[in-house]
Amino acid sequence: MSDWPEPAVDYVQAITDTKLVLGHRYAQWALSGPSLEDDIGGASAAQEEIGHVRQLASKLEAQGRDLEWTKGQRDSDEFANAACLDRIDGDWTEYVASIAPADRAAWYLLDAIDEDDLEGLITKMGEDEYFHLEYHDARLETLAEEDPETVQATLERTLPQALALIGPAAYDESEDPLYEAGFTDRPVSEIRAAFADHYRELFADTDVSLEGVDWDAPAVDDWDETRRRTGTDAISTEDVEQLRGERNAEFALS
Amino acid sequence: MKYEVFARINQGDETKHIGNVTAKSDRLAKMYAYNTFDEEDWDMLAVVREDDYQRVSNDPKPTVGVSTSE
Repeated sequence: MSDWPEPAVDYVQAITDTKLVLGHRYAQWALSGPSLEDDIGGASAAQEEIGHVRQLASKLEAQGRDLEWTKGQRDSDEFANAACLDRIDGDWTEYVASIAPADRAAWYLLDAIDEDDLEGLITKMGEDEYFHLEYHDARLETLAEEDPETVQATLERTLPQALALIGPAAYDESEDPLYEAGFTDRPVSEIRAAFADHYRELFADTDVSLEGVDWDAPAVDDWDETRRRTGTDAISTEDVEQLRGERNAEFALS
Repeated sequence: MKYEVFARINQGDETKHIGNVTAKSDRLAKMYAYNTFDEEDWDMLAVVREDDYQRVSNDPKPTVGVSTSE
């Protein structure tokens, strides 16, 4: 039985699932970067995200969530990762403009948690995340000079998806159940504003325009509170098999 | 652009050159250095643009002209 307020387990599950899929995407692209330094950074971030997942999974287990389920023993449409990570088609530019908003949104959600039991863990994760997010921004700055059209087109899709992970704009001080319950120290509306301000400032002096981004998404009536997104899309079944390590099960240490 | 990477493990240690990275901005160079040279818990890790080197040696030896007529 959970001693967190009722929606909190799903909230932390969505952060955990985003980190799980994020780690998978980092690993998939870790040999595809334009430089050795990009590959090393991706491999390093993959390890750190999976480390975060292990820590968060144990916290979720303590709240009654089945550990094997969290680790991947479920259907793809039960994963609550940021929708912009469902699949990443295209090239390096689209990859960076997809993972960056997801990683930042997951961190903002984590940073908003106000639970003594999680404080030390979140502080440590924040030390890792500083370098993930700084790297993404540095990369987005260079890509905004090299290929602004692709950056802009990708962000017009991925920023609203990351905003859906954060939650609907209607969740302000009086409507956000986790803020009202004291599980978070700021409402979703405030997290969204910080997220939007960050990207507006990052691209302010570039050729990337964010005027086409739907900053109001998602509508609260369309939003799935459990999966923190709209619609029924999900990661592929092949992704789920890879996350479970099914094809390599015979090599698992027992 | 090429950046040289310098580091020291403990405060007061000698700062050593540990390698280099190639990056398109100072911000990116710092992140590349952090990820690439992550083998120690550095007290200080820094990057310097190769162009910012104020070379003292490795250039033709400077000479002071001396007039023979004096």
